[in-house]
Amino acid sequence: MSASGLAERAAPSRVPWLDFLRQDPRRLIAAVVGVVLAVLMLPPLWILIQDSVTTTDAIGDVTGWTFEHFRKLVTDRDALRSIWNTLVFATGSTVLSLISGGALAWLVERTNAPLKILAYLATIISMGTPYILHVIAWLFLLGKIGPLNDLYRQLSGSPDNLFNVNSMAGMILIEGFLWSPLVFLLLGATFRAANADMEEAARMSGASVLDTLWRISLRLAMPAILALALFVFIRAIGGFEVPALVGMPGRIFVLTTDVYEATIVVPPDLGYAAAFSVVMVAIVAVLLYFYGRLSKHAERFHSVTGKGYRPRPFDLGRGRWIAGAIIIVNFVVVLLLPLLTLLWMSLLPFLRGFSFAGLSALTLKNYHTVFHAPGYVDLALNSLTVAAGAATGIMLITALAGWIAARNGPGGRWLDQLATLSLVFPGICLGVAVMEVYLRVPLPIYGSLWIIAIAYVIRYMPYGMRYVYAGVLQLHRELEEAAGVAGASSLTTLRRIVAPLLTPALVAGWLFIFLIANKELSIAVLLASPGSQVIAVAIFDQWVNGQGGELAAFGLVWTVLMTIIACLFFAQMRRGGTDVFGN
Amino acid sequence: MLTVRGLTKIYANRYDAHAGGVRDIEFALPPGTFFTLLGPSGCGKTTTLRCVAGLERPDAGFIALGERVLFDGERKIAVPMNQRGIGMVFQSYAIWPHMTVFENIAFPLRVAKNRRYGREEIRTLVDQALATVGLAGYGDRPATRLSGGQQQRVALARAIVHRPQLLLLDEPLSNLDASLREEMRVELRRLQQQIGITAIYVTHDQAEALAMSDLVAVMDRGRIVQFGEPRAIYFRPESEFVASFIGAANLFGGTTVAAVAAGGVGTLRLDDGGEIACLFPTGSAAGQAATASVRPESIVIAPAGAAAANGANVLRGSVNAASFLGANVRYDVRVGERALRVIGSAEVVFPPGTDVLLVFPPQATVSVS
Repeated sequence: MSASGLAERAAPSRVPWLDFLRQDPRRLIAAVVGVVLAVLMLPPLWILIQDSVTTTDAIGDVTGWTFEHFRKLVTDRDALRSIWNTLVFATGSTVLSLISGGALAWLVERTNAPLKILAYLATIISMGTPYILHVIAWLFLLGKIGPLNDLYRQLSGSPDNLFNVNSMAGMILIEGFLWSPLVFLLLGATFRAANADMEEAARMSGASVLDTLWRISLRLAMPAILALALFVFIRAIGGFEVPALVGMPGRIFVLTTDVYEATIVVPPDLGYAAAFSVVMVAIVAVLLYFYGRLSKHAERFHSVTGKGYRPRPFDLGRGRWIAGAIIIVNFVVVLLLPLLTLLWMSLLPFLRGFSFAGLSALTLKNYHTVFHAPGYVDLALNSLTVAAGAATGIMLITALAGWIAARNGPGGRWLDQLATLSLVFPGICLGVAVMEVYLRVPLPIYGSLWIIAIAYVIRYMPYGMRYVYAGVLQLHRELEEAAGVAGASSLTTLRRIVAPLLTPALVAGWLFIFLIANKELSIAVLLASPGSQVIAVAIFDQWVNGQGGELAAFGLVWTVLMTIIACLFFAQMRRGGTDVFGN
Repeated sequence: MLTVRGLTKIYANRYDAHAGGVRDIEFALPPGTFFTLLGPSGCGKTTTLRCVAGLERPDAGFIALGERVLFDGERKIAVPMNQRGIGMVFQSYAIWPHMTVFENIAFPLRVAKNRRYGREEIRTLVDQALATVGLAGYGDRPATRLSGGQQQRVALARAIVHRPQLLLLDEPLSNLDASLREEMRVELRRLQQQIGITAIYVTHDQAEALAMSDLVAVMDRGRIVQFGEPRAIYFRPESEFVASFIGAANLFGGTTVAAVAAGGVGTLRLDDGGEIACLFPTGSAAGQAATASVRPESIVIAPAGAAAANGANVLRGSVNAASFLGANVRYDVRVGERALRVIGSAEVVFPPGTDVLLVFPPQATVSVS
């Protein structure tokens, strides 16, 4: 820069770093957001590592270094079995959900199968239902007094059960159904975005529908399928609802339930829990690395589409009706059976199997309790407030961080890394870590709703980031450059150009976080206390206490409420034209 | 021999009242013809092509390739696309990125149902196809490592490797840059003649259509509005739409003074005064409204005092604008209330404001209605 150029600049301030920030206002934003993110994201990871290699006294102060926790973990047969169980459980449920959700996605998006609406319906409603409700419904369906075993006993006359739900097979089955709607949604997007020319070129070359599916469609989607498989696998490793409700009663432990057990025993063995957590975080971190590479690879196969693009589904001919049957079966299994089960449970004064005798005992008493006992209304308000607060906080932070990161602004890569750091935490591990951090911080938030809100913010920050990032990338850079050339500062550009155009992505991200925060049990289960309950934890407690009827009634009412919000979410996605999940 | 009769396919369009699609498409192509469907976007040319391919199912009509009926709405015959034995090049090329060049081209042979190809046979046929499109030795390349022009050639090789009777090309040159496009234009035409295959080519580029085709069908709003050889399409447009879509045209509206026999020259009284002599390819009755089209390059621009040949149409005007284009000069000339486009030689330039004479023969003044 020339000497005159320097002289024309505003008088330099005495403090050099202040000057540095002034040159590009984005630096100031990046600095502030970076500090906030670091304060939120780093302590949980640090504390987990610290806890896993130290001994503490009764009040939690560090008294020395030790590898005892890890030694115990490696030498303990139960611990090794948990690791093995985790792998079997995650692999099995991933494969099951990929097959059921993937087949459905292909039929719905790429063929002329009838009754497609049912698949969307199942997906939307399951978006709003807490996982734990599904699990409870399935426990009942497949359990000892459930209709399946009941039927078997009556037909065979033997007192034994056909199927023991509290087994690895039961866990895999239920977890697989749990993830199937997500797989449907994500693979559906992949199949929809696929260039139909690729398939038509195969058909014009003489290939049959099955040939085309096998040799072209599946191969082209393979990187996306593998990436999704890894994603579901990671989520299943961190899954808590099924291991806790289905596995623990059958004495089948996985890593998440081990962490949970070690935390709730008296006195809690936090060092051991932390060591387990560190192992899980390490596994997930490695898997995430491969996930990142796979998704990049998946994008490479994204080809340019020709003009006049419109979805051109395969004609299945008479196979249409088989496809329709598959869609119906999926609808019944994933949605209708669980909902009917909950309805049955909610209408009975106490839990019993399906029977005509039961019909005479039907009562609305449970619903009456739900609407009139004060506890339930408070519970619902708590859950809504915490989820809304967390979603708002996340979108505020990520709107700035995501914009800077997507535009390669100052420190963008660091902001991205920080904001997505919590992906490595399975929910239960994050619960342990957040509990530990805020037990030691001299703020009176432990035992209040605040700590749950903070845990949500940490946990779901990566999702907010993905929504904003994808949203910014869709905005042509020249829209911002034009504002700059027209004389707007970068702050004005952010306020007047970026923010309004980004609103659809922000709204979609907010709704998604709001929904998923109310769905998951694992984070809040260790943080909620009697005065500060959220929905999933309350349902968990009621199930453990045997209050199945009220739980089901409340769960159904809640599902209706959340389904309305899920509808808003899908409407917003359709309007904004963005990908349903930022992943 | 490809025969298409009464081909109709209507799309109910949700967004505006106009229903897209094609109506009553008819044409017959002798073997070895290079046939072009030409028209603006949305005119139905791609729909027509996709109906022939079997990618769309027509609402009604008849399609036969030689003796073989591919589609007959009345008899409810619809041969599935993978059994039609047609080669097709897509606009996006649709080169499968997970296969090598060789595997892309070998695909039609590997999935063939009517006969099994041996390993050696596949190799021979693919190598031949590669050589035909000038890509010999590229077989082992991953398909993702090809330039646009190479992808185009691979797509072509894949379309011809199983020796189809008919080759369909859906705007194959529109994704290439200008110089490559010119090169591929010549190349495609040469290949088509070398193989002797019947080809249907879809484009909105009139220069492509005129340069490559044996026959051209101009389409507008779902119908074929003119069908013929390129020269006839250009010099004897049958409607204002064809006249102005194929190259620029100066249009003169008026009424016929006296009855004219088909192919005869008659006098057209212009709506804004004056008369010109005009060729009526289909004849005209006295007093009938008519529009005449004159190509800009058919008009000779001359100094105001110049003498005109006998019988030629002469209009007086003044130059409004002149753009030097290198090979020639393009003028906007004001004649009364009318602005005419004229292409003049590059050697003499008439600057704006100059009074000029516009001279054009009756043979180049064609009635289009």
